Amino acid sequence: MSDFVEQCRQEWRRLGVPDPLAEEMASDLASDLTDAEAEGVSVEELLGISAFDPRSFAASWAAERGVIPVPPSRANARRRPRVLVAFTALAAIALIVAALLLLTGNPKVTLTAMSKRTPGAHLKSPPAFVLPPGGSQQVLHANMAAPVEWILLVLAIIALGFAGWLWSSWGRSRPPGAPA
Amino acid sequence: MLDLCLLAVMDEGPAYGYEMTKRLRDRGLAIVGEGSIYPLLGRLERDGLVDTYRAASNGGPPRKYYRPSSAGRVALALGVSEWRAARDAVDAVLAPVKIEVAS
Repeated sequence: MSDFVEQCRQEWRRLGVPDPLAEEMASDLASDLTDAEAEGVSVEELLGISAFDPRSFAASWAAERGVIPVPPSRANARRRPRVLVAFTALAAIALIVAALLLLTGNPKVTLTAMSKRTPGAHLKSPPAFVLPPGGSQQVLHANMAAPVEWILLVLAIIALGFAGWLWSSWGRSRPPGAPA
Repeated sequence: MLDLCLLAVMDEGPAYGYEMTKRLRDRGLAIVGEGSIYPLLGRLERDGLVDTYRAASNGGPPRKYYRPSSAGRVALALGVSEWRAARDAVDAVLAPVKIEVAS
């Protein structure tokens, strides 16, 4: 039993519970456990499942008393918007970069009108696609770097959509009056 | 609901943690199986629903005694009223049910 109290004491110290309060809670708990033991009641009977997890028990007690700012789970919930902000910003940057590359960079996909192809040229040139004939024969030369920009653009749009969904779901899950 | 039960047993007379556990057990309510009363007492204290003081127990070390504050008594009265209304409503629904046990 004293081991359980000692583990609680260590957890309170780790969480920054003021010493007088931690000592008061430890003293009350130790007295109750001693009484229970004298009456043949085990720690498990007195504390239930908390008897197997002194650190959680100590943290829960301190949090409910309001002697530590917020329990870890709530702190994570507050940290979540920062992750969302970072994710949204990255997606937006990716979208802008992809758009700039597509609008201002050298075209990676060229549409070239060719009247005649020399024999064997297809062995040296990049992959080409023959479009339906309409007067002169047109060949589309595709550079292998071209899809990267389009893939980046599509991924950025998907990421922004996902970020929007995360923002809306986070907004719904926040308790009323919770700090932003 | 467990908060309400704690307020009720300490309204019978100031009590420390283990004493409240015993009072609840005497009435067949072993709530500790799902946790412990200590965080609940902490919450009641934080919300100003209990007053506390330290006093020597029977030959033992000083203990922290709890009793409902004035706000706690109001919360207890409201809670009991709501509980009774809910219980009566459920009773009204369940009353016509006949249970037959095959032998």
